[in-house]
Amino acid sequence: MENIYLTIALAPLLGAIIAGFFGGMLGRTATHTITILGVLVSTVLALYVFNHHVLEQGAVFNQNLYTWMQIGSLNVSVGFLVDNLTSVMLVVVSFVSLMVHIYTIGYMHDDDGYTKFFSYISLFTFSMFMLVMSNNFMQLFFGWEAVGLVSYLLIGFWHHKESAVEANLKAFLVNRVGDFGFLLGIGLVLAFSGSLDYMEVFSTLDKVVGQSLWGADLITVICLLLFVGAMGKSAQVPLHVWLPGSMEGPTPISALIHAATMVTAGIFMVSRMSPMFELSDVALTVVMVIGAITALFMGLLGIVQNDIKKVVAYSTLSQLGYMTVALGVSAYSVAIFHLMTHAFFKALLFLGAGSVIVAMHHEQDIRKMGGLRKKMPITYWTGLIGTLALIGFPGFAGFYSKDMIIEAVHFSSLPYAGWVYYAVVAGVFITAFYSLRMFFIVFHGESRVDHHTEEHLHESPASITFPLIALAIPSAIIGYLTIDPMLFNGWLDNAITVDAAHKSMAEIGQLFSHHGGALGMISHAVFTVPFWMMVGGIVTAWIFSLYRTQWAAWVQSKFQGINYILESLYGFDRFNEIVFVNGVKKLGNLLWKVSDAGLIDKMVVNGSARLVGFIGSVVRPIQTGYVYHYAFFMIFSLLIILTWALFAGDNPLLQIEF
Amino acid sequence: MTFDQILFYVFSFWFIASSLAMIFSRNAAKAVLFLILSFFSAASIWILLEAEFLAITLILVYVGAVMVLFLFVIKMLNIDKSTLRAKFAGYLPLGLIVAAIIIAEMTLVLGGNQFGLDVVAAPARHGADYSNITVLAMQLYTTYVYPFELAAVLLLIAIIAAITLVHRNELNRKKQSIAEQVNVQAKDRVRIVSIASSGKEAK
Amino acid sequence: MVSLSDYLILSAIIFCIGLVGIFVNRTNIITLLMCVELILVAVNTNFIAFSHFLGNEAGQIFVFFILTVAAAEVAIGLAILTLLFRNKGSINVDVTNSLKG
Repeated sequence: MENIYLTIALAPLLGAIIAGFFGGMLGRTATHTITILGVLVSTVLALYVFNHHVLEQGAVFNQNLYTWMQIGSLNVSVGFLVDNLTSVMLVVVSFVSLMVHIYTIGYMHDDDGYTKFFSYISLFTFSMFMLVMSNNFMQLFFGWEAVGLVSYLLIGFWHHKESAVEANLKAFLVNRVGDFGFLLGIGLVLAFSGSLDYMEVFSTLDKVVGQSLWGADLITVICLLLFVGAMGKSAQVPLHVWLPGSMEGPTPISALIHAATMVTAGIFMVSRMSPMFELSDVALTVVMVIGAITALFMGLLGIVQNDIKKVVAYSTLSQLGYMTVALGVSAYSVAIFHLMTHAFFKALLFLGAGSVIVAMHHEQDIRKMGGLRKKMPITYWTGLIGTLALIGFPGFAGFYSKDMIIEAVHFSSLPYAGWVYYAVVAGVFITAFYSLRMFFIVFHGESRVDHHTEEHLHESPASITFPLIALAIPSAIIGYLTIDPMLFNGWLDNAITVDAAHKSMAEIGQLFSHHGGALGMISHAVFTVPFWMMVGGIVTAWIFSLYRTQWAAWVQSKFQGINYILESLYGFDRFNEIVFVNGVKKLGNLLWKVSDAGLIDKMVVNGSARLVGFIGSVVRPIQTGYVYHYAFFMIFSLLIILTWALFAGDNPLLQIEF
Repeated sequence: MTFDQILFYVFSFWFIASSLAMIFSRNAAKAVLFLILSFFSAASIWILLEAEFLAITLILVYVGAVMVLFLFVIKMLNIDKSTLRAKFAGYLPLGLIVAAIIIAEMTLVLGGNQFGLDVVAAPARHGADYSNITVLAMQLYTTYVYPFELAAVLLLIAIIAAITLVHRNELNRKKQSIAEQVNVQAKDRVRIVSIASSGKEAK
Repeated sequence: MVSLSDYLILSAIIFCIGLVGIFVNRTNIITLLMCVELILVAVNTNFIAFSHFLGNEAGQIFVFFILTVAAAEVAIGLAILTLLFRNKGSINVDVTNSLKG
């Protein structure tokens, strides 16, 4: 088995190396064939692993394959921990990556950096595999950093565009802030448990419980620091500012990295650390509240966006907030479930947006689109399926996962759970509103497309539409198929620990069986509040984008203040710029002028020279050049020696009694 | 007070007085003359100490040669009238104090307790046929002949050094001029001359 | 009777007068050289006093050599003085301050 895991991880790496170094020589066709082959091998093997572990209940695989270093009693190695959670993540990541690889053939067709792109996305796939399969914190951090690095490379892929370069720097730096907290958390884990291996840490958790660090409960501090890392990677408020900027990268990577896989690494990490998070109610509350803030407020921002990719980006932020809320109420399997469904339909939506962009010759403003339904049927229908999944239309994948999250929050007993419940329910309305707004403006209504582009408008080639169809299928049905086994029949049991006091999972399990399973949920849906929220969102979007578009402009002019706040993205970017960027610049200036130039240069370096000069100038006049001065000093010293020899010392020459 | 004590005090008074006058005099020639007077007093004291040869040597060599040399130089450089006012005032009190302290301490060391008559007895005076020269010569040419020769060499070196220091013109130095040596041609040094042979064989 | 200590104290006084003369004098360098002679004479007196009281001629031999060396030293000292006068134009003690730091 261990060879299979190694192959899963290393096949994309091999593809990346070959594409990266020999891509120019091999040419485009050979490069994309090799890399797709690599990811295809990983996908097939991932499905096999899934079958073995989850469906056949294979044993958990936890082994160190290579000892990287041994420092005293600390052993840091490369090892794999493959259980059901890992298997689910492997399937999701490999499948989405394969779809994106195929999609890239069509999307990056005209680009010069074709082979480089394939190399990067294969490299990303490798890093993501290492992250999810790791069995210790160090390898997790390696994968963490590696995906951050590849994200940086890919966001700035078109490096001659200045906005892209700024965006990739921003992404990397904000991620760094998260990583800083993450590292502190790992450091604390190491300090108090003495090991970096997951299983060893979890088994010594009872030692850590109850200890306090500078007045705060230790396990809370550790969990909060680890969550800071998740905040950076999964773009929770306030470390979310990088995700909209990351849309500067090509659409395939927006789909792969910033929708389906990298941003879910934080969610995965918290689920993996569920034994630790369960011990701290404070940490769970913080997780839940931050997730709710992200879900609600980022959704609001999606309403006023005019760039097709930005709408989907804010949608991603909002959905990540939902996943985080699920983590906060100890419904870890629900969070993973939503992660899985979200990966499928969000990748689908991004790839669909990319299809529209390619057809519109890289025009991204939705106000210049309209009525594309007739010209791009496949994109239209797959886009519809994705949108319905996103808004939680009964029966589609998103419906099950989102509903479960809302119910889980409803049953949670954490503080502020009430407010969070209202936030996520309102979020359903907002999600439906912005999704359908975008959908109607782009695909329905009169065409506002510029004349020249309209002549060339046609459906995208097969390499683009095939992934769309392939992703639409799970978006539609996977929720129905997997909700029962994953959430309530213990698919993830051997990976996730839930404390008995957090009874959300148990309650929604009861609710689920009460309503008669997955099928029953559909028919029951009409009686739930979220359903009517969704309907309200759809109707409002229809009114404002198709029925009476002039009302939208009227509302905007009436609520100018709110409009301003939303369009300036709540001022996070301004705040960061003023406080952090300018602050650091000022600090740098201060340190330069005062400390470096003033203190060190003037006082220490020049000062010591001046001191030597000063002492020299004091001592120099002693040498007058006159012989009689010298003679006088000699005589005077002679007198002193004489006196000393005569009267003082151990053996004075004169013994005088006074 | 015995006679030699009186003599001693008289001579030592002149000794000290003339040396003080020497250092405080403004005129260089007068200073030399005062020094000569103090040397005479010293010689007298030495005769009191039965070192006749050295006393005479002091007068003949030291006063006669060295002090005359001083006078020569003074007259030659024409520094009789010293144009500057001696700035004694600054250092004089300090100097006198230091000197007084040194004298006091040396008196403590060399005073009556350590070297008085009860510690070191006055030796018997030599007879009339005591020849100081003979005694010195006996030592000088046997035990101390090596330092004696060395002293001679030292004087030679002093002569050479003094001459070298002051000599204005370049002495006839034989210098090499490498450039000329390298540029020499064979015809400047060798001349081939044919000489008629006498016809006889060499034996 | 004159004791040894009297002679020794006398030579000590002359020695100190010579010392004082060296750094008190401001007029010319000749005076400096003469004070050195004075010091030498004091030391000679010391030697001869000891030689007389201890009956050892080695003291007088030593005085002999001191006289020799003193003569040589005076010769060279005056040669240097002549050069100094030639270069500086006066033999005021203040002109010899080229080594001033």
